[in-house]
Amino acid sequence: MIEVNNLNFSYTKNPFIEDMNFIVQSGEIFGFLGPSGAGKSTIQKILTGLITTYKGNVKVNNIEVKRHDSSFYENIGVDFEFPSLYEKLTSRENMVFFSSLYKKRQDIDTLLESVGLLKDADKKVSDFSKGMKSRLNFIKALVHDPQLLFLDEPTAGLDPSNSRRMKDIILQQKAMGKTILLTTHNMYDATELCDHVAFIADGKLRALDTPRNLIMSRGAAKVSYTYMCNGKEVRNEALLNSIGNDNMLQKLMQENKLLSIHSSEPTLNDIFVELTGRALQ
Amino acid sequence: MRTKSLLIGDIRFQFKYGFYFLYAVFTILYIAILYMLPGRWREQAAIIMIFTDPAAMGLFFMGAIILFEKGERVLNSIAISPVKPYEYVISKLTSIAIISTAAAVLIGLGGRVISNYIYFILGVFLGSCLFSCIGIILAVNIKTLNQFIVATIPAEIIISLPAIAWLFGFKPLWLILHPGVCVIELCQNGENAFLAMFILAFWTFFAAVYAWRKVRKSFKSLGGIKL
Repeated sequence: MIEVNNLNFSYTKNPFIEDMNFIVQSGEIFGFLGPSGAGKSTIQKILTGLITTYKGNVKVNNIEVKRHDSSFYENIGVDFEFPSLYEKLTSRENMVFFSSLYKKRQDIDTLLESVGLLKDADKKVSDFSKGMKSRLNFIKALVHDPQLLFLDEPTAGLDPSNSRRMKDIILQQKAMGKTILLTTHNMYDATELCDHVAFIADGKLRALDTPRNLIMSRGAAKVSYTYMCNGKEVRNEALLNSIGNDNMLQKLMQENKLLSIHSSEPTLNDIFVELTGRALQ
Repeated sequence: MRTKSLLIGDIRFQFKYGFYFLYAVFTILYIAILYMLPGRWREQAAIIMIFTDPAAMGLFFMGAIILFEKGERVLNSIAISPVKPYEYVISKLTSIAIISTAAAVLIGLGGRVISNYIYFILGVFLGSCLFSCIGIILAVNIKTLNQFIVATIPAEIIISLPAIAWLFGFKPLWLILHPGVCVIELCQNGENAFLAMFILAFWTFFAAVYAWRKVRKSFKSLGGIKL
């Protein structure tokens, strides 16, 4: 679906995106993870054809992006970080307008219903809350039923329930066979949603793997447990690969005296810091 | 087909954002003023009203439309859609020119100044497109309404002064090369109206090509590159 070979690009004379290579398979959710200014949005702009002055090869749907024509956009949908909607038009009018720009069109009411906005279809966008605007902006990227979706910080600024709703919709789109590129600095979203994540820092690709492999490759997994001793709660740790040698843990388990037990894998943020020396958030 | 969709979208946008209301208010006001004026002043007053409002308002309205679209980040969504920059420009010019021409015809009828409908409609339509092109050219590089208003002052002077001078009798033939003068000549069905039609069409085409290039650059600059 997407093939990037030896990509180089800079806004200035100093190097920025350098020698980047990756492949995004059809039907997967691929996440770009990195702090602000790392180059995530620049890569998205290159992939969506907004920047064409790059060096190297970038193929999206088998089309070299720098040579794309307007039909290139019939099969990609972009959800920008900030809403891009006509505020004085209703949500339905916005959807009708944007869908009229494409050859293929989805049913507007079905899309509005999918994000719980059908009852607000005739309300002006300026009267919408931030969460409602984000949901509307998201389905605006789906009006032409694209196979490839670019989502830029789709849960940024949303409350937990709207964030959950947005993530469920993203997973629904994946289940429908869509390929999704997610740009985020939220490690929890990336861990939950992505099949592969690419760590980006200072315009360079620092790591690329599945979230699970990245986490497990740091091994290390420890187990921490708590129990009561002389009226106080005590916390112990044991390495996962030698857990059988922890006599205290064995004893507590046999006596059913464990208060809590957790494995403690590193988070993507821990791994990011280890690889780049910078934090995600 | 896509240009038609854009045009319908633009007309809906202009209606919702109150542009049609403004045109209606100005048209009614101007017709009322024309009826109050003495007969001998009416023709020149009507031509000035048509030139400065339905025709030239395109400059301000186009600037406002582009600034609204920038402010609401709608241009980002249009730039990553199949819309081509020339379709965007054609739709914008046509949408403003339609309402401008309708308003001008009503004022023209009110002032009883239309002696040749074809020249009159062509003059206002092309003049409106020309002013709108200037509005686009100025607005794509500007961020605030204040900056835009300041930028329009020299454009307004350059276009309006020779045209007003022509209307009040300063008529050296070379001045017919000026696009504003062409609008006046066509609206008045002057003796050089036929020539003015071609000159105005040339200027409008030239301005539209320049506006298209600016919009194309502007779409690209949404990617963050300075071109």
